[in-house]
Amino acid sequence: MTEWAWTRIGWRNIGRHRKRSALTMLGLGGSFIAVVVLVGWVDGLMIELTNSATGFTNGSIEINAVEFRPDRRVYDTIGGRDGTDVEHLLEQLTADPSVLAVTPRVYGGGLVSRGDGETTVGAMLIGVDPDRERSVTNFLDGGVEGRLPEPGQNEVLLGGEMARQLEVGVGDQVIMVAPGADGSLGNDLYAVAGIFRTGVPQFEAANVVLPVIDLQTLITLDPGRIHQIMVAIDDPVRPDAVATRLSDVLASEPSALEAVPWTVLRPEIVEITALVSSVYGVIIALVFGIAIFGVANTMLMSTYERRREIAVMLALGSTPRSIVKTILYEAVGLGFLSLVFGVLVSVPLVAWWSSSPVDLSWLYPNITFQGAIMPPVWRVEFNSAVWVQASVALFVTAVLAALYPAVRAVRVPPADTLSGL
Amino acid sequence: MFVSVVAVSVAPAQMEIDLVDIINQAQRLHTGDSSTGVVRMEVVTEHWERNMTMEMASYGNDYALIRILTPAKESGTATLKADRDIWNYLPKIDRTIKVPASMMGGSWMGSHFTNDDLVQESTLTDEYDLELTFDGERDGAAVWEITLIPKPETAVVWGSIMYRVRKDVVQPVGAFYYDEDGELARSMEFTEPKRFGGRMLPSVMTMVPADKPDELTRMVYEELNFDVGLDESYFALRNLQDRR
Repeated sequence: MTEWAWTRIGWRNIGRHRKRSALTMLGLGGSFIAVVVLVGWVDGLMIELTNSATGFTNGSIEINAVEFRPDRRVYDTIGGRDGTDVEHLLEQLTADPSVLAVTPRVYGGGLVSRGDGETTVGAMLIGVDPDRERSVTNFLDGGVEGRLPEPGQNEVLLGGEMARQLEVGVGDQVIMVAPGADGSLGNDLYAVAGIFRTGVPQFEAANVVLPVIDLQTLITLDPGRIHQIMVAIDDPVRPDAVATRLSDVLASEPSALEAVPWTVLRPEIVEITALVSSVYGVIIALVFGIAIFGVANTMLMSTYERRREIAVMLALGSTPRSIVKTILYEAVGLGFLSLVFGVLVSVPLVAWWSSSPVDLSWLYPNITFQGAIMPPVWRVEFNSAVWVQASVALFVTAVLAALYPAVRAVRVPPADTLSGL
Repeated sequence: MFVSVVAVSVAPAQMEIDLVDIINQAQRLHTGDSSTGVVRMEVVTEHWERNMTMEMASYGNDYALIRILTPAKESGTATLKADRDIWNYLPKIDRTIKVPASMMGGSWMGSHFTNDDLVQESTLTDEYDLELTFDGERDGAAVWEITLIPKPETAVVWGSIMYRVRKDVVQPVGAFYYDEDGELARSMEFTEPKRFGGRMLPSVMTMVPADKPDELTRMVYEELNFDVGLDESYFALRNLQDRR
């Protein structure tokens, strides 16, 4: 007999006991669905984590003078002492198709006091472009009481926790003192335009946000001198290739600049993601490991019921190898149908879950993790690698589950079986 | 601290060495009961250089008032030290702010001195155990080297401090500050003796951070008057701006 004949026999056997075959398919297909949804959910969590942790106060890519990191000194501005044409540089970066938005940053460190000077705290001063900032970062998305500060008006935005410590509110006055880039002691009075709340008290307690130009004036930096440009990109999870492209763009600048992706700046996020990804194999093994017993049981029953038929085939000269092949082809056929079932259910399910994440904020508060806020959103991501792995695992499970029943089936003595022993 | 560590003593070197007395005198005698003076401060960093002159007044080791005279941009900016607290007066906005404890390690007026330097050294012998670690010649001068090791229960900034004291005049010629790992963090040199109010004192103190040997802060004492009759009442917050 040709190979095709054994294949057909195996395939036809699937239809001989349709309910049992359907149950087996449900087991295997259900395992497939469980794996892709479970892994997709964990993937969704990781993407939320990455987006939250890297987009909270920073962009997916940070651009600065090469000497800026790690000391972050006030002098190490883009373009050195001469500064740069900030708008032109921002335009150059925005020309990259993957770049969604860019925003300049200036930093300083100093003291912030209540207007009467009685209460003082140390603070990081963050100079932002109020119009651009929210298109790159999300730390202001948590809500601002009052409004964003107007450039050139000596207005600031305080973190909620700092405002509490200083006992100031919107409209009150604060004093800011910061060492200038020329060694002088910059100081001035500022009105509290707004108070931002992030849900991360440490961040709110340590930071004051004000327009770039106001911070530059306080710390004696010319308008062309900024410390960083934060970049938002279309695929925040994979920033490396865009960072390389932007580095090429920056190579034409007169001073040495670097475009650093978050994967370099936040290696702990990369490690957590890698660690979680390494568990995907375990998830696949566990789910299909459980499924294999169900499939094996079905196949054992199926072959037991056909023991007389198998005995006849053996008596008529079929080789045990051919019989085993028939049963394995049956298993592969079951696997194929299970996969079709699994894919038909998973594709719309994951597509819906990915585009319409379930908002669980009514059930859980925001989660603070790695210095960032993660909203309690249950989303499922499409992970093509895991879909392929789960498909392979499904076939392997089907074949392995059939192997023992197949070998056992051909070991029956034909004469004894046919005589009813 | 800028005045406190300019030590002078008339204690004869041949007597048994009383280390606590040497360090205490080094701290006490520079001011007498009280002092006033004019100091020029030169700060050289990798990125900028600047000169400031300031008038200063002190009472004992616990009270000091320093007011910037030049440059004009910062004229009137003043620092008041009273016990372990520091206030800064900012004439541009006519406000006084108290420096929080968390910022005591920050730079004072852009120099290599910290706010901590202003308040810490007033209590050196309370917070450190003293040990004579060298008795011999350095650079042709007979010196003692006295190492100050923090007492176990005290929270201090330095792992240890070593004062090099000239035996003949019982004055420090150098002070070396080490971190907790025993690495030199910064050094201070006392040079150019000059007569102030009948006392010969080093008129120049030069602070060099160990990790930036090209940077320095130099304090040049131009005037120093002792026992000028000041008391605690002078070092009140209202005086920060009264004398603009």
